[in-house]
Amino acid sequence: MTMTLVRRPGLAKVRTKRAPLYVASLVFAGVVVLLALLAPWIQPYDPNIADLGNALAPPSGDHLFGVDAAGRDTFSRLVAGARTSLLGPLGVVVFSTVLGAAVGVAAGWRGGWLDSVLSRGSELTLAFPGLLLAILIVSVYGEGLLAPVVALSVAYFPYVSRLTRSLVLAERARPYVAAYQVQGHSGLQICVRHVVPNIAPVVLAQSTVNFGYALIDLAGLSFLGLGVPALTPDWGRMVFDGKSAIQSGYPLSAIIPCLAIVLTVVAFNVVGERWADKVAGRTR
Amino acid sequence: MPTQNSARTFRRAAAPATAALAAFALLAACSGPAKHGADSPAANYQLSEGTPPAKGTIDKFSWALYAEPLTLDWIQAFDYPQNTVLSNVCESLMRWTPQLTLAPGLAEKAANPDPNTWVYDLRPGVKFHNGEPLTADDVVFSFGRQTNPELAAAWADSFENVAAVTATGPLQVTVKLKQPDALFPQLMATAAGVVASRKGVEAAGKDYGVDGSLDCTGPYKLTHWAKGQSLELDRFDDYWGTKAKAKTVEFKFLTDPAARTNAMLSGEVDGSFLVPTDSYERLRTSGVGSLYFGEGLSTVNVNVTSIKGALGDVRVRRALSMALDRGGFVKAALGGNGTVTNSITPKAAWAAAGPETRAAAFDALPPAAQDIEQAKKLIEEAGAKGKTVTVATSPIGQDVTLLATALQTAGSKIGLKVELKTIAPDAFSALFTDPAAREGIDAFPETFYLSVTDPVDLLRNFKTGAYQNHASYSNPEYDALVEQITSTYDPAQRLALEAKLQQKAAEEVVWMPVAEWPSTVFLNKKITGAPTTIAYMYYPWAADVGAAG
Repeated sequence: MTMTLVRRPGLAKVRTKRAPLYVASLVFAGVVVLLALLAPWIQPYDPNIADLGNALAPPSGDHLFGVDAAGRDTFSRLVAGARTSLLGPLGVVVFSTVLGAAVGVAAGWRGGWLDSVLSRGSELTLAFPGLLLAILIVSVYGEGLLAPVVALSVAYFPYVSRLTRSLVLAERARPYVAAYQVQGHSGLQICVRHVVPNIAPVVLAQSTVNFGYALIDLAGLSFLGLGVPALTPDWGRMVFDGKSAIQSGYPLSAIIPCLAIVLTVVAFNVVGERWADKVAGRTR
Repeated sequence: MPTQNSARTFRRAAAPATAALAAFALLAACSGPAKHGADSPAANYQLSEGTPPAKGTIDKFSWALYAEPLTLDWIQAFDYPQNTVLSNVCESLMRWTPQLTLAPGLAEKAANPDPNTWVYDLRPGVKFHNGEPLTADDVVFSFGRQTNPELAAAWADSFENVAAVTATGPLQVTVKLKQPDALFPQLMATAAGVVASRKGVEAAGKDYGVDGSLDCTGPYKLTHWAKGQSLELDRFDDYWGTKAKAKTVEFKFLTDPAARTNAMLSGEVDGSFLVPTDSYERLRTSGVGSLYFGEGLSTVNVNVTSIKGALGDVRVRRALSMALDRGGFVKAALGGNGTVTNSITPKAAWAAAGPETRAAAFDALPPAAQDIEQAKKLIEEAGAKGKTVTVATSPIGQDVTLLATALQTAGSKIGLKVELKTIAPDAFSALFTDPAAREGIDAFPETFYLSVTDPVDLLRNFKTGAYQNHASYSNPEYDALVEQITSTYDPAQRLALEAKLQQKAAEEVVWMPVAEWPSTVFLNKKITGAPTTIAYMYYPWAADVGAAG
């Protein structure tokens, strides 16, 4: 997971003046979000209805992406799965951003012992691998989306809090803060009305990048059978379910959700990095 | 060394080639399997009587298990993983042969002087793994553990008609029955009839079966159990019978079906029973070894574990059974290597029955074909529309996961809400032995193998208070018929009564029959000799496995 907002030389090579990769990624991410929102109207079949007699059928007019090993329409599951697959990372990003920003702002603005306590606390959480933490929490609370989302939010918040703290520290040293203080504004007022809005774009840009990572972590958990319950259409779960199709020698129902995960993660990362570059004033 | 220009040219040429390759790979991935009728699976497999006999000894072979045994205490051996191991370590008074017939085991002679008495004469010179000799006292002690209510033995049912077990000689045991019991002598070939060393079991105390030696008499002894990974059996050199051909057998716990298949393909394990159904084709065509099918005496069923909820109404059970796509299940879950059935007992178990008895047992059973409209009507009649049924599933194999999926689909087609609850592979065995594990579960997919070649072995499970009567059915008529069957020693008469019992079980939809499934075994080119039939659950099969060449 990214620690700071940096440009990656590998992706810079494919950037051009008009940034087609950014545009393509933005469009792709938009399409995925739309699919998730309109899933019930778009999916041609009930994603959970199994026609076992038609298991592993190849793509056809009836089944655009074929049928999985349980006889379920892969396209319908992909569309329905977009909901769970995006909702989970969204939860992680919202929780971790709110928590991380609150901790980061408090630590950076207040400084002193509070900074030490909060920063060391965050670092302690960082020492524990996020995925392991999620596996532990899911093992205790059972399957479902909430437990892994909470676990990953806890694992992700230190990254946001460290970024926020460093931004707040930089902002605090700026002359306008001293000017407000001289005018008699309270610390809370300056922080909430001026500092937070100033750092928000950078934090949000980072959150967009985090979205991609959360998506891949949650898909990984689903693949391990630790995420959403069986039958729930979810991209990670689809890859898990696709294992038997791979064993049978017809891996399409596993390849398609894999592609969806990879492309969506790349799309969110490219968009997030671009926004981060923009707010940081970096030129390309 | 290529110039920059030539490298660019290469990249330009490589791009379409890569794209073409990717498209080809995708096309290959797209093409589904060849279509074949689910009801014509005979084309896919052929039952073998056995595998070629071993040609020599071997130092070691390794075997895959789909789950780690919860315990190796024989009184709790009630599932595939435990019995696959235990059959080589602990022996019973009688033996189930690979041909699924009864033969002498630790008892060289079984006599039935009157209908209520069985006298077993033990083999002389048999030693336990701890060096102690086998005596009648060990038999009395071992059977006493099965009937001790504090130990809650899984095989306690087998002793329900036993009045007393006494040592009538140093090597003679007399079993007095409360009433004639035709099943008892047959069950003496299963884990119910296992004899272990009294000294060994008492010394191990609560650790027996979980840690340390099992102190039985089998051709192998348990020497090492790395919890969570594997266990090892070593040849018992003082074995009374033919010595095992392999010095060591290692059982590896591979819960993931794909990992199990890959282990077989890569040689990490040399073989396995219960081969994952989605791997049949890969293993058949791999050239690494041979896949054999044998008589499994097994049926895949929906085990109704609770009749407190929606499944309490027989019409709901009938409707759900009616809505099941059995043909699709056989095709998708068993890869066509099975047959659709409307009977919870396997047809092979009725081999000794005459045509009239077979007709009585099968002809009037509800059809296996799917009938959604009729099922919907039944749900309406029962007022069960929208009710929830919770089904347990586990990623141990396609037979379990796809049957759960098929139930969910059947439910949604007829107006029932079927929720799936996923259980870890190692915990799935607990569904059979622990009522707490079945809390909140209405049904789960169960492949039931007969432990004796007699249909009543399954049908008696629905008698009031029976160990596997998870749903607590109670029907005095059914109970009376089971009693009558149990006390009938004549096989023809018994089977005729069992046909009636089968009808009653079908009327009540105590379980939902789905398919008959053959036993499978994969052996790589290194080894041979394992049986193909379900006998491996109680027969010391590993002792026959040796070098293939």
